Amino acid sequence: MRDRPSVLVVVQRYGDVSGGAEAHARALVAHLRPHADLAVATTTAADYRTWTNVYTAGIDAVDGVAVHRFPVESGRTRDFRLREHRAFAKVHPLAAEDAFVRAQGPVAPELLEHLRRHGREFDAILFFTYIYYPTVYGLPVVPERAVLVPTAHDEPALRLSVYRRLFHAPRAIAFNSEEERALVHRTFANERVPDDVVGVGVDVPADRDGTRFRARFGIEGPYLLYLGRIVESKGCATLFDHFLRWQRTAGASPAVLVLAGRGEPEMPIPSDPRIRLIGGLSDQQKFDALAGAAALVMPSLLESLSMVTLEAWAAGRPVIVDRRSPVLSSMTARAGGGLGYRSWMQFAEIAELLIADPALGDRLGRSGERFVQGTYTWPAVVEKYRDLFAEVGARNA
Amino acid sequence: MTGRRLLLVVQRYGAEVVGGSEQHARLAAQRLARRHTVEVATTTALDYWTWAPYYVPGVVVVDGIRVRRFAVAAGRDPEFKAFEHHVLEEQHHVADELAWPRRQGPDCPDLLEFLHRHGREYDAILFYTYIYGPTALGLPIVPERAALISTAHDEYPLRLAPYRALFHVPRAIGYLTPEERAMVHARFHNEQVPDEVLGYAVGDAPAADVAAFRAKHGIPGPYVLYLGQVSEGKGCDELLAEWTAYREGGGAPDVTLVFAGTVRMAMPDRPDVRALGRVSETDKAGALAGAVALVQPSRLESLGIVLFEAWQYGTPALVHAANLITSGQTARAGAGRGYDQGGFGAALDAVRAARDAYGAAGLAYVRSECSFDAFDERLERLVEATVGA
Repeated sequence: MRDRPSVLVVVQRYGDVSGGAEAHARALVAHLRPHADLAVATTTAADYRTWTNVYTAGIDAVDGVAVHRFPVESGRTRDFRLREHRAFAKVHPLAAEDAFVRAQGPVAPELLEHLRRHGREFDAILFFTYIYYPTVYGLPVVPERAVLVPTAHDEPALRLSVYRRLFHAPRAIAFNSEEERALVHRTFANERVPDDVVGVGVDVPADRDGTRFRARFGIEGPYLLYLGRIVESKGCATLFDHFLRWQRTAGASPAVLVLAGRGEPEMPIPSDPRIRLIGGLSDQQKFDALAGAAALVMPSLLESLSMVTLEAWAAGRPVIVDRRSPVLSSMTARAGGGLGYRSWMQFAEIAELLIADPALGDRLGRSGERFVQGTYTWPAVVEKYRDLFAEVGARNA
Repeated sequence: MTGRRLLLVVQRYGAEVVGGSEQHARLAAQRLARRHTVEVATTTALDYWTWAPYYVPGVVVVDGIRVRRFAVAAGRDPEFKAFEHHVLEEQHHVADELAWPRRQGPDCPDLLEFLHRHGREYDAILFYTYIYGPTALGLPIVPERAALISTAHDEYPLRLAPYRALFHVPRAIGYLTPEERAMVHARFHNEQVPDEVLGYAVGDAPAADVAAFRAKHGIPGPYVLYLGQVSEGKGCDELLAEWTAYREGGGAPDVTLVFAGTVRMAMPDRPDVRALGRVSETDKAGALAGAVALVQPSRLESLGIVLFEAWQYGTPALVHAANLITSGQTARAGAGRGYDQGGFGAALDAVRAARDAYGAAGLAYVRSECSFDAFDERLERLVEATVGA
């Protein structure tokens, strides 16, 4: 293999699109550029709910990297929910699984053909996200040079037969966390496949100012911060419930819950002066908001890797997590970077503690910061990918 | 019964089935059943060309082994020849390649469904023959407990998309020969998958009556034997050309070339070439024991069980050097000669001159490498590598 390996990145969407795995892929490409010749193979879709063809098929460039976009032959079908329901039933025929993957979209057969024809021109091919068609049917076309970035969490799809070969076929697997690795090994018994916990790097501005944030948005007193989409599936209903129950308890320390995130809320927000919706933030504003917060609250149950949690830690702030979330609660425990609740009363107790004793929050935050510096920095991530590419190259030499 | 719960998947299974991989599968099932609980999952087909239903779907017991036969939903696509040409010779799409196992047949969705529903009930599942649907589409459903017995030779379909991951996902691979192992490693770079070279086992040789065979077929003098289907696909046309050239050059005037097996090609009418058609097991034993040498002209054998059978009787082998597997096998055993185009006569002369030494080497090889004990041990290592710690 050359000093600069040639690497193809396969991902279901690419460019100015939302989504954790997609942002992950793009940030990784940017950081790998000094070390590898990169290209991206993706679809013409911009959103994961319809996979409608938005981009033009053909060669595009994003951040100076060639992006080959392939047309979506069929996006999410109208009967997707039915297909999903059938495939997730405890007893279901094998055909229901293929039907589910196709109905989920994006079906892009020309992307597979591209892999068949040009796969061998690359030293390594990174496949992002195990669940979609491009990885399900594309990875088995080039297993000998495939590196899978599964971004898996414990969900019904992970138990389908159709996904099993994906976790046994690649040359290497790059996990986001120790927890994801344990989950995948438990589910697939695929310990033989070389792997590493790689994740992503977190960039933090050195200058972070909570006062500036308070002044800009007119927030006084202690506050808890929530960053992200305001939607039921991220645990926001539980968050609102627990926060308000705590605040309505006699003797509760007055506090504000600040909700920050792009886009319209996708669920009703209780009308209460203690809950403040401030909309999307710039990167600088986000870190200013973190700097001033008593804690970041992360109520989601199904995360493979929570970027905002890593960012809070990188900024030296603690997180409050739902203990039912296997990845978040285990990571938080390993990092010593926060506290977990199982009930609104525990939530209240934790919030009171962090407000009453700011030094405790600082200590937890520093512990989280050390955890992030040990794994989730770009130099470490890039180094691990280079090792994985070298592994792939050596095996195909 | 004790031991592991094993399932063996193979495209055809039964006493009536003719085919090297299937014969290997049946022997493996029988040997494994002595230590483990073994079941077989297969189709209702008898022949590998049409895959037409022959057996009744359902569970039967064959030689004490539970055999689950699943209905063939579709046999070989009537247009397969044209399709094959398109995929192998023309510009085509990956979708064509992915359709290959189903169009080739046997398309057996019920078998795949069985693996999906019940695969986890077995400790290990052994899949025979990489190229057919039950393995190509079935193994990826249960990779964490699968062993692949690929029986591959270097042929174009090995490059097609459905087979690329097949050699990477199983827990372990059983190769028939070191040559198959080297060829697969060179193509797929899948050295990370633990493997075992299984070889084959032959029991005691059936008693042979050479005199009776000679008398019955009127072959009094020395003869070279070909045993098996007589067809161009097996290289019999090339063998006849070699033979004719050799005789025209004055070679071995006293020797007859004897073909024993179903004839599927035009045969020359000449006194030094005899085609006997399919022969009985008794005749086969006599024919093997009395031959100067057994000749195997095929370029596409993945094991060549007939070589072991010849060596059991101390009969050396003449093999086409283009077949790395049979020629490698013969060289390892020191039990015969390989020949290139135009080299048949010289190889025959050499073997004839030292027949006893070559034959003795063959017999010694079969006794040490093809004993049931040695075969059982190799199978056991494959099963253990598949089951894992």
